[in-house]
Amino acid sequence: MASTVIGAGITVEGEITTDEDVVVSGTVRGKLSAKEAVTIEHGATVEADVTGGSLVVAGSLTGNVVANERVDLQQGARVIGNVKAARVTIADGAQFKGNVDMDV
Amino acid sequence: MAQARTATHRGEGAQARIGGGARVRGRIHGDGDLLVEGQVEGDVAIRGELTVAEGATLTSKAVEAQTVTIAGAFEGDVAATGPVRVVGGARVRGNLRGSTVSIDDGARYSGRLECEFELPAELGGSARESRGRAAARR
Repeated sequence: MASTVIGAGITVEGEITTDEDVVVSGTVRGKLSAKEAVTIEHGATVEADVTGGSLVVAGSLTGNVVANERVDLQQGARVIGNVKAARVTIADGAQFKGNVDMDV
Repeated sequence: MAQARTATHRGEGAQARIGGGARVRGRIHGDGDLLVEGQVEGDVAIRGELTVAEGATLTSKAVEAQTVTIAGAFEGDVAATGPVRVVGGARVRGNLRGSTVSIDDGARYSGRLECEFELPAELGGSARESRGRAAARR
């Protein structure tokens, strides 16, 4: 189990900062920054700028993303915002609107 | 800590946890249990159990939950529909309201307690829901 979990029924409005990993199954509005992996699960809603070591999205994300390692948009993901990471994957069935910056 | 883990398995909504390395500034609300191991600054309103673990800090004006267990540091007012428990080693400053309120040996507490209980008739209790108040200082 991840260090920080925002459960399916829970909403956080504000800022989450952690040196560990985060799993969002509920709703986060504001800002989310983690040093390790961030997972936005299917059914989750994030309206926030996200920074993390890596990011996996299967839910809905509105906001700009910066990841140190990689960003994976999985099937069912809906992402509106700019993505900056060295490695980015967008799976078949993921919806994405925004810019990708792989720092080339 | 083991006690805090088991506490998160009740309730209908999914559970939430703010890990030891995490800090949240803002409002947390919704259905389900919340376990705070890190630092939270802001109001909490949940339908479920709130647990502030040992070493954790929760600072908020208002906390609403079904049951509240505090083993860490807490500052603010609690309004619980169920029991409120302050565990030994906890540091609490604020008012606590719940169906029952318990403060274990070793806890440091400053504030006002408010819980409902029935006064015996000889103390002028109407034997129905009287509201009792007690002030406690460390």
